[in-house]
Amino acid sequence: MFKRKIIAILLLIGLGLLGGVSAIGEPGLQTAQAAPAREAWQNEFDEVCSKTQDAMTFSEEQLTTLIQKCDALLPQLEKLDETQKKVFTGRLRMCRGLYVYVLDSKKNEKK
Amino acid sequence: MLFRCMGLAAIPAAAEWLKATERTKTKTKKKAGSLGRRFSMNKKLFTALVVILIFCGQSISQAQSGTKKRRPLPYEYGRVVIDNYSDKTQLAPVVFEHWIHRSKFTCRVCHVDIGFAMKAGGTDIKAADNARGFYCGTCHNGKMLVDGKALFAACSNKMAPGDAKRCERCHSLGKKVASDYDFFRFAKPLPKESYGNGIDWEKSEELGLINPVAHLEGVTPRNPLALQKDFALNPKVEGMPDIIFSHRKHTVWNGCELCHPEIFTGVKKGTSHYTMVDISQGKSCGACHTSVAFPLTDCQRCHSKPVMEMK
Repeated sequence: MFKRKIIAILLLIGLGLLGGVSAIGEPGLQTAQAAPAREAWQNEFDEVCSKTQDAMTFSEEQLTTLIQKCDALLPQLEKLDETQKKVFTGRLRMCRGLYVYVLDSKKNEKK
Repeated sequence: MLFRCMGLAAIPAAAEWLKATERTKTKTKKKAGSLGRRFSMNKKLFTALVVILIFCGQSISQAQSGTKKRRPLPYEYGRVVIDNYSDKTQLAPVVFEHWIHRSKFTCRVCHVDIGFAMKAGGTDIKAADNARGFYCGTCHNGKMLVDGKALFAACSNKMAPGDAKRCERCHSLGKKVASDYDFFRFAKPLPKESYGNGIDWEKSEELGLINPVAHLEGVTPRNPLALQKDFALNPKVEGMPDIIFSHRKHTVWNGCELCHPEIFTGVKKGTSHYTMVDISQGKSCGACHTSVAFPLTDCQRCHSKPVMEMK
């Protein structure tokens, strides 16, 4: 019983030491772990605006959904600090504008 | 004078005598200075006439042809002077050279992904924006490697002793600042053209002499664009060759959202009409082809479809 406890404690100490050594030995990894996670709005922004080059291939429904997503994202971007707000609202305006433009041209083709 | 002081001018005889003396004095003076005066009068007249002639000449030439702008030299073409806040911080305005930047990056990377406006001064860039890694600071962060060299950091919140020189790399209007790139050395191996920078940028890329990057890690959210088909536009002027619009080249360099809908608003092909006057005023094609891309004087670059087939 006593031996088992000692082995368990020694194992724990060993594991702890190993973790410590690896953290010291790999600063890149440490930095990567410490780096702030991408905020939700950033992922959403990338998801919406990464599709501009495929806009011509989307259906009217898909384009309408993308425009709605842009509109939903705007209030979040307006809460950002001055620089981020300026950069990302501008970029969002461009990609939303394109989706509206393609949607209009698709509707126009049908006429 | 003496008589006047004595009050003798009030006596009629004395007054007459005074007048006669003054007349004689004036005559003598006139005789003595007539030659010199005539000469100085002529000189004044001549100067006045020259000035009038210069002004008349200038106003006539301006009325006939409008104010003529000096054609920029090849290394000046595409240059943008940014002076939003520089003067207030006692720095020289920023001189941005398009030619070096366009050889390294596509238009889309800077004007869509980084967010630079299409009009000079329209971005409202602040030093704090750059220091935080936006706008110029996206690449000019002291870390990004271009041609194996780390790009200098654009702006910083703290001033170090050697920073004045670093600031002058961009805030350089009216200063002699050594650049990492010399225009003539850079342009020497590239295919030539007659206008703009004197460089055929399209051909340079085709030949692999330049390789503009279309993707910036962490900034560009998408994959490269699928190639588009070119199409012809009818100029509606008799005898004028059709315009072959390279949709392919434009989309590769600019993406879709840079042109549509802010520059080209029409949704149906052929329904929007753009005159050369509009274009020369910076509308539609003129948004780029008056300032950065090959200029309007290079007619045949756009009006390029042969009018008659050669037999």
